[in-house]
Amino acid sequence: MQVEVSRRKFLQGSVAMSIVGGSSIGVTNLLASHNEKESKTSITTKTGTGEAKEIATLCEMCVNKCAALARVEDGIVTKLNPNPRFPKSKNMLCPRGNAGIQALYDPDRLKHPMIRVGKKGEGEFKKVSWEEAYEAILNGTDKFTGMNKILDEEKDNRSSFLFCAGEGMAEHTFKQFYSAFGSANWLNHASLCLQTVISGYGVTLGGYPQADLDNAEYVIMAGANRAEAIVTPDTMDIFKRTKRRGAKLICIDPRFTNTAAKADKWLAINPGTDLAFVLALTYVVITEELYDKKYVEENVAGFDKYKVNILDNKYTPEWAEKITNIKAKEIYKIAREFMAHAPKAVYYPGRRSTFSNNDFQLRRAMAIFQGISGGVDTKGGLVFGKKLKLSPHASLVPLYDRAQARAVNKVERTKGQVGYSDCAVVSGGGSWVGWRNRYLENKMPYNVRGMFIYKHNPMMNMPNTQKTAQMLEKMELVVAIDTMPSDTVMYADVVLPECTYLERTDPVKTFGGVEPSIAQRNKVLDPMFETKPVMEILRGLTEKISKPIFDITKKYDEEVQSEIKDSSEEEVYAEFDLTKPFEHSQEEVNEHMVKGLYGEEAVEALKKHGVFYPDMDKYFKQVSANEHQYYPQKKKYYSVNGGKAKTESKKVECYLPNLAKKCVDPMPMWHDEYNFNVPNGKFRLLTGRHAQFTQSGTSNNAVLRDLMPENYLWINRRVAEKKHIKFGDMIEISSSVGKTRIKAYPTEKIAPNQLFFVHGFGEESESLTWAYKNGGNDNAVIEDIIEPVYGASSMHETNVEIRKV
Amino acid sequence: MARYGMALDYKNCINCKACEVACKEENGVLLGADKHRIWVGVKEIEGEYPLLDIVSSTFMPSQCQHCDDAPCEMVCPTHATYYDDNNVVRVDVDKCILCSYCMNACPYDARYVDDRTMTVDKCTFCSDTRLERGEVTTACQNTCPTKVRTFGDLDDPDSEISELLRTREHFSLKANLGTKPKLFYLT
Ligand code: SF4
Ligand code: SF4
Ligand code: SF4
Repeated sequence: MQVEVSRRKFLQGSVAMSIVGGSSIGVTNLLASHNEKESKTSITTKTGTGEAKEIATLCEMCVNKCAALARVEDGIVTKLNPNPRFPKSKNMLCPRGNAGIQALYDPDRLKHPMIRVGKKGEGEFKKVSWEEAYEAILNGTDKFTGMNKILDEEKDNRSSFLFCAGEGMAEHTFKQFYSAFGSANWLNHASLCLQTVISGYGVTLGGYPQADLDNAEYVIMAGANRAEAIVTPDTMDIFKRTKRRGAKLICIDPRFTNTAAKADKWLAINPGTDLAFVLALTYVVITEELYDKKYVEENVAGFDKYKVNILDNKYTPEWAEKITNIKAKEIYKIAREFMAHAPKAVYYPGRRSTFSNNDFQLRRAMAIFQGISGGVDTKGGLVFGKKLKLSPHASLVPLYDRAQARAVNKVERTKGQVGYSDCAVVSGGGSWVGWRNRYLENKMPYNVRGMFIYKHNPMMNMPNTQKTAQMLEKMELVVAIDTMPSDTVMYADVVLPECTYLERTDPVKTFGGVEPSIAQRNKVLDPMFETKPVMEILRGLTEKISKPIFDITKKYDEEVQSEIKDSSEEEVYAEFDLTKPFEHSQEEVNEHMVKGLYGEEAVEALKKHGVFYPDMDKYFKQVSANEHQYYPQKKKYYSVNGGKAKTESKKVECYLPNLAKKCVDPMPMWHDEYNFNVPNGKFRLLTGRHAQFTQSGTSNNAVLRDLMPENYLWINRRVAEKKHIKFGDMIEISSSVGKTRIKAYPTEKIAPNQLFFVHGFGEESESLTWAYKNGGNDNAVIEDIIEPVYGASSMHETNVEIRKV
Repeated sequence: MARYGMALDYKNCINCKACEVACKEENGVLLGADKHRIWVGVKEIEGEYPLLDIVSSTFMPSQCQHCDDAPCEMVCPTHATYYDDNNVVRVDVDKCILCSYCMNACPYDARYVDDRTMTVDKCTFCSDTRLERGEVTTACQNTCPTKVRTFGDLDDPDSEISELLRTREHFSLKANLGTKPKLFYLT
């Protein structure tokens, strides 16, 4: 190993021999921080032994929402511990969950409202009061246009404002603002994330299922990296059982990930060719008649057509070997083993961003493969589980006659026309890149001039950063609600500081599954500085803007004018009163959502334990130091639909004529343009996750940086040697859309024609002490290619060049 | 009065480093890669892509072994390193003169210098935090997603750890040195 490791480098050399017969073990993470200066000071607090409070909260360091108990001593959060009561997170907190304290005490946090005083994007702001910030949103300043003017000029077309949000428990609160405001332009993370997997499974099985990794005997994990991209409870369930301990794990990935390390077999696949692999598996089980015939007959629709498709196209393992680089004999073996273990076999659905243009069809093929094994809605297979109900709460959806439909929308519109979507279906979350690009091409059906951004970092989270910057520059009014001065916040005109998750109670949420529960994030501390929860931010904002912008509606909306004539202005305004959804406190809303259904007991349990489900008191118990029972075996919801799919027909759908109407293959097929190839001298760029950071959201976290101060470029060791690239050398990566710089990590864990680095680094905001210009930004080089069905960003379709600098 | 030890189901470890962060946050350990009380051993994979040797990439979670015959304790000239009532190897910051003999003597390289006190520090089994509060798990055990660790009293035949060691095969690191570690790796 040529890379520098810490003092613990050769520790345990002899031990390694006796365990694995290997050579020396470099003991500390070789990518960890070695900065002398930093190591002198510590920002961790030792927990005390005196009086302490414990408050049940839910982690927000990633999307999993694990249950945590915050230890508070003298008004300071000194530790976040796992809360054992939550069946989803089963008494664990990952490194990020533990480092949540640093999100709370990050010195770079947004502390007070600000308005832009400098040039857009330069991050020059003036500290203002909340009232001044709201006023600036409504009436603008000498630097930017206010909402009043925009809406007036656009004649009350509410869709002249775009609303976008990242994933989170309070996303719903913000979305209520969007609904009440009356815009049709809503974009969320889905098209940058799991749109194709959710939809692929949705149309095929009738829902996005969970995998029962607690009981599956055979698991294919392809393009999913559960050891590093942690998903609860999957991560906790599977890795206790691999390596001949109950579940055989087959990892299919172009890279040798930590999941590969924990798997029983790892097969390196060419990027973007998983579909060919699944089609060939299907070929084997069809020709050898290994599938569950009875199940297929009763519960699978369109199987005959699919069979003909598979056989006529000769999707043989030999055919797939050429495309995927996985040996035909391995494909035969896996197909046979899978079906031998079915229905206790799982082709793991995955939960990640779209990698290739065929991703939707890949998910369909995976779902169908699972379907014909009979492993649906059953123990050890894919499961839908049960979801506990919550009472709905009132929302406000006024009808604005002048508001136009979603700007990038209609399927019929052909490429190049106004508002063309470039994809077959536009889902609720929209196609982010599609929308952004139409906006920059001036292909909008009407003017969109302002945008509200909540807990979302478009500058970092979508391909082609330059275009996102252009978009934000072009918007006349950008309002950002966030906790950190991210790259996106730098482009805002008005910045509204939200408190962190430890300083607020969020909407109560129900978590479906084999062991369903309801959980609540309770406020641990009062908001620090001048920050507020989004609920209160929106309360203040709507109090300011509701009346004035209703006046604009009154001016242009003939429906409203005649309604006022028929009744009274007061009555009509009541339907347009934007403050309505925010009048109650979050605590009151939560109480309302559970009390009617589960009684006072549930309200109390959620406050005290953060978790509730019927009979929790009876069922929940500690079984051993590390294990808890949530539900007795017999009470678990492995099967909720009689073993059937949840589609309307109650069948697994192989063939979907509706798709054909939209020019999408009605069943999964391979096309030559899906083949993997990289021109000589170039590399295919792969991106992904690891366990220590969550995208750009945690990039400034000092304790996580301690584990990995920056991201590194994986480059094949032999290729690096030829190019005289050593560990730590600075490399410039360039593509047709941009460049980024990052240090090299030569390794055999990646193919010679591929490169990889972790997403979320390389921010440009100078207000981020630790994240600023730290590592490389993948989205500066990933091309803005979208897949054809949902317009989701295809993250692994970009070829790049490298240069040592 | 106990004889605390720890069993590690090390095959579960996914090298997520939750234990490292939990330890630092619980015990107020300094930042910096060389200031760890706990770490995961990793090794660059053997073989050439795509023919890699999966087993060569084992993750080895580790920390102070709390040896029953601890070389660090034997060499300490001021008796700063000592066994506490629970047989946990501890360092008395008031007595430590940072001669660093113990750091060299430890075959597991478990010790580092705390720059604030300029004394030697290492895993304490959370003795002055969690154990003192009467808690029965360490921070690293408690937080681990795949539940690698089981902490407990080796002298208590009814403890989970005793049961584990009775029923599962295990080994200790550098057993040939005769240090009698109280960390046991389950196979
Ligand atoms: S997986 Fe980690 S970061 Fe995500 S919610 Fe759970 S503890 Fe928090
Ligand atoms: S927390 Fe557990 S799985 Fe993660 S690195 Fe530590 S021992 Fe390994
Ligand atoms: S037992 Fe406590 S002090 Fe020792 S490594 Fe674990 S968390 Fe750190």
